[in-house]
Amino acid sequence: MMNNSLKVELYSKKAKRQMSLILIAIIGIYIYTSIATESSLFDFIDGWSGFERVAKDLFPPNWSYAPQVWEYLAETIQMAIIATTFAAICSVPIFLLSAANLFPNKWIHQPVRFMMNVLRTIPDILLAVIFVGIFGVGVFPGIMALFIFSLGILAKLMYETIESIDLNPLEAIRASGGNTLQVIWYAVLPQVLPQFVSFGLYVFEVNVRASVVLGFVGAGGIGLLLQQQVSFFNYPRVMTIIIIIFIAVVIIDYISNKIRERLV
Amino acid sequence: MIEFKQTSLVYPNGTQGLKNINLKINEGEFVVIVGLSGAGKSTLIRSMNRLVTPTEGELLIDDDNILAFNQRKLRDLRTKVGMIFQNYNLVKRSTVMKNVISGRLGHTGTIKSLLNMYSQEDLALAHRSLERVNIAEKMHQRADQLSGGQQQRVAIARVLTQQPKIILADEPVASLDPPTSHQVMTYLRKVNQEDNITTIVNLHFIDMAMEYADRIIGMRAGEVVYDGPASKVSEETFEEIYGRKIREDDLVGGQDDE
Amino acid sequence: MEQKLSLNKKRTTKQWIQYSVIAAAIIALYLWTFIGIDIRWSRVFSERSIDNFGRVIPQLFSPDWSAFGKVMALMWQTLQMAYTGTLLAAILAIPFGFFAASNMVKSKALNTFSKWALDAIRAFPELVLALMFVAAIGPAPFAGVLAIAIGSIGMLGKLYCEVIESIDMNVVEALEANGANKLQVLFYGIIPQIIPEFLSYAIYRFEIDVRASTILGIIGAGGIGTLITIATQNRNWDEVGMILLVIVVVVTIIDTLSAMIRKRIV
Repeated sequence: MMNNSLKVELYSKKAKRQMSLILIAIIGIYIYTSIATESSLFDFIDGWSGFERVAKDLFPPNWSYAPQVWEYLAETIQMAIIATTFAAICSVPIFLLSAANLFPNKWIHQPVRFMMNVLRTIPDILLAVIFVGIFGVGVFPGIMALFIFSLGILAKLMYETIESIDLNPLEAIRASGGNTLQVIWYAVLPQVLPQFVSFGLYVFEVNVRASVVLGFVGAGGIGLLLQQQVSFFNYPRVMTIIIIIFIAVVIIDYISNKIRERLV
Repeated sequence: MIEFKQTSLVYPNGTQGLKNINLKINEGEFVVIVGLSGAGKSTLIRSMNRLVTPTEGELLIDDDNILAFNQRKLRDLRTKVGMIFQNYNLVKRSTVMKNVISGRLGHTGTIKSLLNMYSQEDLALAHRSLERVNIAEKMHQRADQLSGGQQQRVAIARVLTQQPKIILADEPVASLDPPTSHQVMTYLRKVNQEDNITTIVNLHFIDMAMEYADRIIGMRAGEVVYDGPASKVSEETFEEIYGRKIREDDLVGGQDDE
Repeated sequence: MEQKLSLNKKRTTKQWIQYSVIAAAIIALYLWTFIGIDIRWSRVFSERSIDNFGRVIPQLFSPDWSAFGKVMALMWQTLQMAYTGTLLAAILAIPFGFFAASNMVKSKALNTFSKWALDAIRAFPELVLALMFVAAIGPAPFAGVLAIAIGSIGMLGKLYCEVIESIDMNVVEALEANGANKLQVLFYGIIPQIIPEFLSYAIYRFEIDVRASTILGIIGAGGIGTLITIATQNRNWDEVGMILLVIVVVVTIIDTLSAMIRKRIV
């Protein structure tokens, strides 16, 4: 039988203290950050009239404006296609060099990975700002920004895939006298090709979304129109653009997902 | 007392789970139900706390027909009928204590249980239950840090904390090795004798059934094909129940190491 | 007839047609792209570009340390925005996750509708949301916080839903067999199973939101992006270099910390 003086607790004291501390920290930081950024519930109530005004002005969308949007939508998609294609091609040597099971020498794969990691931390629109500064306003800086950003993502996804492949075929080909290039060509690429196409399509989805907003900084695409119309307070047109973007993104995601499902 | 009166169960997909069952199980009995998998053992056990609902006949527990129970009465019923599962069904990420105290949920108001406001008696009861299965020292560990046998003991403690009149155990040792299996069965038997809790266990190991049961019920194809005291059961009885020769894997082997 | 040996297996007529259609579609897509795209090469590779290149790139790599304090202050605001937005989204996404999970809400219509709503949210780039919020309440960090909060619901709701659908329902059955009611099952059986993953995904989303918050300022929605616009307009490329350096370092630190915490949680 248990000792009467022993108090039974549902949680140990340590666990209780730990949980309370974490909870208090999460809430405490939230209170601080929401006040510091003026984003508390009170600010939400304060801003309500603004939301209401814009929401009302957005309807009904101005459909007669739609024909002018197509051209920019096409440009947005074309930018994404070009950037994704070139990034896919250029990523091949990079991800091969980053794979530790192909190039065990850490002086090869580590520096390449490091560079790609750094590239991925730079937001694509910031790259676009820089390229606009160099090449001037137009689609070219936008494509460059998407290209570099996609390169980082693709390289990471692919070298992780390569590091998880079945190594036995590699050994077999090496054993029958194949050199590194032959090993890659006959044993590595066939194993990762479906994933490569699948990741390429995924990056394309990401790039479509990204190139929608590149126009905000003058790097081409539909974002230019969107920002223009917002600054003219022409909300029915804004709504038209938003709906067109929405439909385009949903359709592209859908098609891309269907293809990817069949691939892997 | 539990009483099946011409109870049958047909699943929505047309499978016959139970066929015209007539049984009486007295208070304090330790009953083992044996049969091949798919014979309807599990369905029989699960109908006693209405995890499945028979479609015909009556099922009386303490003279109430539980098939007619509404949600409220059903919860009351489940509060006094504890259940132990093959895979322990503990919340793996919760502590042992939290799992055991969840046996009190049926006795505790919703608000109190959500705020973890348990009386000292309830907590002491939970602790005592853990002591009875010799695992109290693990009370503040997470359930997933325990071995299978230890988890099943925690599950027994959870049921004890519920202070049930009936314990249902659905293949409680199927995932355990022989020594641990004997240990778990020994605890179940001990609890049955000390607290006079009616205990109904599904097993498919015949040697274990003979060792621990007062009474053995054999099932095949949803029907009760044998019902008698464990002392009168022989290998031939099992061959009749199973409809085939007894094989090596029908026996758990191993000895009680307690 | 002598059979010719070939490395590739012979394709049937149907396969040939299939391949040709796919190939034609891909060729058409690329023709449309490369004919349609309007790159003014003369401007891209003009003398001015070469001049700019020679000026901008070296400055980017020699960050202006005198701007460090200013940049860090705005980076701090960026982190605050990301935290506020992510936490809001982490909470707002919970009901979506439950409604979308087929083992919680036994209504196919409600599941499908919730999943559809989450997909719809994910279709909008955060910057577009931010643009609309800036239009509504003016240029302020709050517009950015709202964009982050709304934009993150889509992904978090979807991940939450997957977590909920993968829980061990036997535990739920066990608690029901104990006589627990629906709320007790939720708090004792379901929440303990999902909390670590929910937390882990929320932290992961915080990583993404930190990156996203760094650029919201470009359209006036607060944070370090505000500085990017000013610096580029004034052609202070060494200041942009400083901003870039801070973003790369801070984002890397946040990613590493977040990965460490997430490893411990699950």
